[in-house]
Amino acid sequence: MARINDVGGMQGFAPLQQEINEPPFHADWEAHVFALNRALLGRGVYNLDEFRDAIERLPPQEYLASSYYEKWLHAITTLLADKGVLTREELAGG
Amino acid sequence: MAESAAAAAGRFRAGDRVQASRIDPAHHTRLPRYARGAVGTVVEGQGRYPLPDRRARALPAEPEPVYAVRFAAGELFGAGDHTVTIDLWESYLRPARSPEHQ
Amino acid sequence: MSGDHAGAAAPLAARVRHLEALLEQRGLVDAAELDRALAAFLARSSPANGARLVARAWRDEEFRARLLADANEALPELELSMGGGLEEQRLKVVANTPDTHNVIVCTLCSCYPLALLGPSPTWYKSEAYRSRVVRDPRGVLGEFGFVLDPAVTINVWDSSAESRYLVLPLQPAGTEDDDEAALAARVTRNGLIGVAPV
Repeated sequence: MARINDVGGMQGFAPLQQEINEPPFHADWEAHVFALNRALLGRGVYNLDEFRDAIERLPPQEYLASSYYEKWLHAITTLLADKGVLTREELAGG
Repeated sequence: MAESAAAAAGRFRAGDRVQASRIDPAHHTRLPRYARGAVGTVVEGQGRYPLPDRRARALPAEPEPVYAVRFAAGELFGAGDHTVTIDLWESYLRPARSPEHQ
Repeated sequence: MSGDHAGAAAPLAARVRHLEALLEQRGLVDAAELDRALAAFLARSSPANGARLVARAWRDEEFRARLLADANEALPELELSMGGGLEEQRLKVVANTPDTHNVIVCTLCSCYPLALLGPSPTWYKSEAYRSRVVRDPRGVLGEFGFVLDPAVTINVWDSSAESRYLVLPLQPAGTEDDDEAALAARVTRNGLIGVAPV
């Protein structure tokens, strides 16, 4: 089934908003998500295709409502739980 | 890393007319839905890589050729005077049925 | 982008800290190494790298030819590379001409030559850009205030596989005698993506 990420040609999205002098990351947590993903990919905990697949499997409403790195965070935690690296209880705690 | 138009002994060469698969898979794929079934022209090879449809499911996958395929906007959307060039794995492509297909 | 003021982001920041702590306990990541790798990436990868490539190509016809034929081979001439992260990715540079204008997108996610240019702008990753630019690139350029001559054909490149794309803009008229530094200063990230003339 075509997934929510496959938006090429879709209509109805808002006008583009350009941030002048946009920083590489808007918050520390975003930079950490970026770095964590690289580290986990580098260690072979999951591969890039599995990572994209995990993002795409976000429920459509959540996908569209989530910021870019929120989607990444979701994918990382999903994969870590699916692969038994961390339990869902551990991830929910803290 | 130079890649000739013969695309590392792949099935297609620059200039070939190809048609993208119509299949709507249940799994991860890198064939965008807007290109399904569309006919385009191979621009050049873009290297050889394992099929992401399989890698996303942790299935073994041997590298296969990837091609930059150019489509007319009219073919994709029924309107527009631009082109869209999409990088497509060989598994997503077959020869276009006839040279007159448009 | 969903509201990212401090209130909404605080739970996210806490979740990320918690995740990082769990992974550190498991020995899968090291906080100091994460910081180091991040700093190294940001130092090494920025739009200035793309600007330097363009400036060199504008000044040097033979370099331009090499860059267009095999960008990965040409990058080390400026001490640049598409490696340094995970696998070295294939870079494809596409040249604008008086008749054709190139624009880059990744409709399926947000693929971008990160290793060379650093993180992409938020608009590039948005559903709005990804959905619209393949269907109405001229309109999207207009949203950036870039009105392209109607006689110029637009080629949109959808980075759907492993190649990463960079636009080589047209050299502005009257800059033929400028040195590389002056030329590089004219090149913007938006120009490298194709939503600006340079």
